[in-house]
Amino acid sequence: MSGIGYRRLVAVALVAGIGLTGAACSDSKKDDSGSKAAGSSAGTPLDPKTKVTISVDCEPPTTKPAERKQWTDDVAEFNKTYPNVTVKSKDAFPCEDPAKFTAMLQAGSETDSYYTYMTDLQQVLDAGQAADISAYVNDRTVPNLKDIDPGVLGVLKDGGKLYGLPTSNYQMGLIYNRKIFQDAGLDPNKPPTTWDEVRQDAKTIQDKLGSKGINGYMDNSAGNQGGWHLVSEMYGVGSKAVDDSGQKAAFNNDQTKSVLQSLHDMRWTDKSMPATPGLQWGDVQKAMGTGKIGMYVGAPDDIPLVVQQYKAKFEDIGMAPIPGGKTALFGGADYMFKKSDTPDQIKAGIAWVNFKFLTLEKGQFNYPRNKTDGLPVGLPQPFFFTGASKAKDTETKTANATVPVENFKTYVDAQVPVLPEPPNAQKIYTVLDTVMSGVLTNKNADISKLLSTAETQVNSLLAASQ
Amino acid sequence: MAATTVPENTTQGHARRPTRPAGRTAGTGTRRKVKNNLQAHGFLIGAVLCFLMFSWYPMVREFIMSFQQKKRGVTSWVGFKNLDRVYHDPYFWTAWKNTAQFTLYALVIGFAVPFVVAIVLNELRHAQAYLRVLVYLPVMLPPVAGVLLFKYFYNPDYGLFNHVLKSLHLPTSQWLDSSHTAMISVVIAATWMNMGSATLIYLAALQNIPGELYEAADLDGAGLWSKIWHVTIPQTRLVLSMMLLLQIVATMQEFTNVYLLTGGNGPQNSTMTVVYMVYQYAFSYNNFGSAAALGLFLLLVLAAFSGVYARLSRNSD
Amino acid sequence: MAASFTSQNRTLISPAALSRPRGRLVYRIVLTVVIVVFTLVFLGPLYWMATGGFKSAQEVVANPPTFFPHHPKPGNYHTAWSQLQIARLLFNTLYYAFGALAFQLVFDVAAAYAISKLRPVLGKLILGAMLATLMIPATVLIVPQYMTVLDLPVLHVNLIGTPWAIWLPTVANGFNIFLLKRFFDSIPEDLMHAAAIDGASPLRTLWSIVLPMSRPILGVVSIFAVVNVWKDFLWPMLVEPDPKKQPINIGIRSLSQGVPENVLIAALAISALPTLLIFLLFQRNIMSGLTAGSLKG
Repeated sequence: MSGIGYRRLVAVALVAGIGLTGAACSDSKKDDSGSKAAGSSAGTPLDPKTKVTISVDCEPPTTKPAERKQWTDDVAEFNKTYPNVTVKSKDAFPCEDPAKFTAMLQAGSETDSYYTYMTDLQQVLDAGQAADISAYVNDRTVPNLKDIDPGVLGVLKDGGKLYGLPTSNYQMGLIYNRKIFQDAGLDPNKPPTTWDEVRQDAKTIQDKLGSKGINGYMDNSAGNQGGWHLVSEMYGVGSKAVDDSGQKAAFNNDQTKSVLQSLHDMRWTDKSMPATPGLQWGDVQKAMGTGKIGMYVGAPDDIPLVVQQYKAKFEDIGMAPIPGGKTALFGGADYMFKKSDTPDQIKAGIAWVNFKFLTLEKGQFNYPRNKTDGLPVGLPQPFFFTGASKAKDTETKTANATVPVENFKTYVDAQVPVLPEPPNAQKIYTVLDTVMSGVLTNKNADISKLLSTAETQVNSLLAASQ
Repeated sequence: MAATTVPENTTQGHARRPTRPAGRTAGTGTRRKVKNNLQAHGFLIGAVLCFLMFSWYPMVREFIMSFQQKKRGVTSWVGFKNLDRVYHDPYFWTAWKNTAQFTLYALVIGFAVPFVVAIVLNELRHAQAYLRVLVYLPVMLPPVAGVLLFKYFYNPDYGLFNHVLKSLHLPTSQWLDSSHTAMISVVIAATWMNMGSATLIYLAALQNIPGELYEAADLDGAGLWSKIWHVTIPQTRLVLSMMLLLQIVATMQEFTNVYLLTGGNGPQNSTMTVVYMVYQYAFSYNNFGSAAALGLFLLLVLAAFSGVYARLSRNSD
Repeated sequence: MAASFTSQNRTLISPAALSRPRGRLVYRIVLTVVIVVFTLVFLGPLYWMATGGFKSAQEVVANPPTFFPHHPKPGNYHTAWSQLQIARLLFNTLYYAFGALAFQLVFDVAAAYAISKLRPVLGKLILGAMLATLMIPATVLIVPQYMTVLDLPVLHVNLIGTPWAIWLPTVANGFNIFLLKRFFDSIPEDLMHAAAIDGASPLRTLWSIVLPMSRPILGVVSIFAVVNVWKDFLWPMLVEPDPKKQPINIGIRSLSQGVPENVLIAALAISALPTLLIFLLFQRNIMSGLTAGSLKG
């Protein structure tokens, strides 16, 4: 299920709707998708005369007034084209909490169009809650379809059928504090690209600024965050978490060991990591935002969070590709459509998602408005567009940028190939938490033994979930 | 942890078995009996329906679900697969060990501390109301407020606790962040928040101890400990044993504190309890069958425990 | 002072020991220590919470911590109150708590009365089955319970997102039944009998004889009912997914992930205030209710 990508994206994605909770009880469980999707008119855009009501979740919460107002304004603008569509918005923060999401799927109480993480597809299909939208999505209903990265769309497909439309995506990289780099005498425009360099720079920071309570690097060890980070880091040096069959662990190798060794040495030899690793989502972000650490591995949507919540400055935060640069873990969010939706509700939902999230210069891509509202413009996400759309997006984005785009230049330019999260990601993360925790809290940790134990455990978990 | 009151006189109820129930008048025709019974069941129906739906039926359902699996919206029977899966979960025994550990700590700290506090409070002749109010104050906080506050205090860098320890020149701790101290930190927070109820109950029980017993003990030349051991504890035995049972049942289902303080698993999975694992199976892994199977394990353990308890308490009567 | 020593029941320490000079000294010391320690342990955190809400984002995570806010920022409280919509969360909580209370009072009292006084066929069996649930922690049954609330048997109604999902399951409380039944058992049968001879219906007997005598235990059950809803976490988190309908525990917990620490602490302080006030105002009644109920049950 959801990557620990988890509360990721919350800062970027916007969405909404009062749920017609409880609308679907037993009937939604019947497999009747065939009859509904088969209509010959499925591929045509929604007729503006159609009277239809849709509920949509992930409206920004009241704690984010600017985003919330944008959402309301967008609904109004959308209603100019589709005056007969009633959009009922439902707010939540974060947009998806995995446990609540599972509960919601079981209850069939999700909104007509609902926010999910890209890793949720199998779970949604298991719960029998996703409408097959293949017949509905084409160049007429989603004009920019041809420019959406096929790799991103691929994650939303199962058995050749499309179940969702992307709204944002990211890949993991190295987030670092440029000011701390500067203060430590490092070049903020040359972030480390390998683990050796990370270690070196962390040590420099520790030596120069350790007395001020600043640590060079920080990582997570619990709450599945440790496992998630370890997987991101092993991807960076070219290891996979599980093999291609999805049934065997593939991380017990020299690459992963080298990453863990670097972490261990930073923690225990150089002491360039804090004594307490991050235990939950938010711990490292807080440390970065309050200027206590030089670097950590994270996703670009952390940047606005670190700034808005912990009062860091945009110009101080930079982002580099994942150390190693072999492959990068990627994730993102999308909207799916409830299986019990009527064809018109699906069409209306697609029209709304298209307007709000997939149309250049509208909705989330309305950069001049973001600028006026004081929201950051210029962050390296989402980046699911290719070709002409990408060029145009980059152009308007750069023209309105409010954050120093060059801070993310190395990250954007690196073009690291992406890999999705492993199957049964959360279970694997739980096991790998132990490895991270072992390395970061036990000076005499036996890395080989930790990894082989974890391998055995992951193998038995994977075997059991067949 | 359940707040509780405990009736003192168990014997009273049995002794006064009335000869004739109310609501039945002299005429004892069959029809009247039927009518009375219908009436009585009318009074019962609301509660019975609620028990049926939210308590008894879920128990049966737990059992059934343990043998089922839902894939792609279709439910099927899978035999012992779920039980087998949870049994072979790499953290199955870890979770049991943590639960046992939590229960043990909760007994040592959560059970003993309120009793000691009650004994001390009962001896004080001044500031009684003030002290009682103090002890009960945390019970009145929304638990999330209490828990998040403790989480703030536990922070090893800027938390209050380490600061206090440091200023007293005592060694500081990693609290929730170390696998060695995480569980005990959870228990301390839970005890702070919940001890008020238990303390009041013990106080009530203590006040009910006839003073003559202490006077007699004094005449025998008994010391303080001897009086506690021979008078106080035996006299409050019923309350103590009842609270013990409730405490154990309550700790076995620990979820909220662990979930809020350590995110559930805790450092090196040191606070992952069985109930948290049930929750994870159901709501993180979306595997309700295996969650139910694990719940069934817990149910059986608790049933066995309650059986032993019932037997022991019967024997000692 | 001697008077206050003897005015109370005889306890562990004999009055004679206490009136000796050494006894007095020890007592004084113990009393002072207890008062100081208790104040620190139980009021200290609350003080820290209230003042923490006034600190700036930097000060609240400062090391070493500051004992009072150097540049008080009352704005935190305002932000917490308006942005986090604490008023609504509190209202929701009260709505759930008092709804649950009403259902428990009606159904559980009626059931305990029936079992204790009307003694229907199978009454003992039903009581046994109800008490048996005491041994099974609610959390163990969370999964099947949740599935049940999703789709009530026979009725096929989905209660998720409605207050019923919180109210109704609270009625299935074996402990209430146990307390109430024990108390009703102690009401003399003669009274019931007399009422029956006067031709009073069971309902009338309950209303005009049993209930007025049962105030203490009703008080206890009421406090427990409200406190239980007030304290519950996992269940409301699952059955009230809509942020607009969540009780305070869930609301604050999900907001805790999205706001700065100082605002969060301000929010905690606000959320704690109403019940603390109610408790302090009515502490005499609540305390005596709790102790009386537990004793005379």
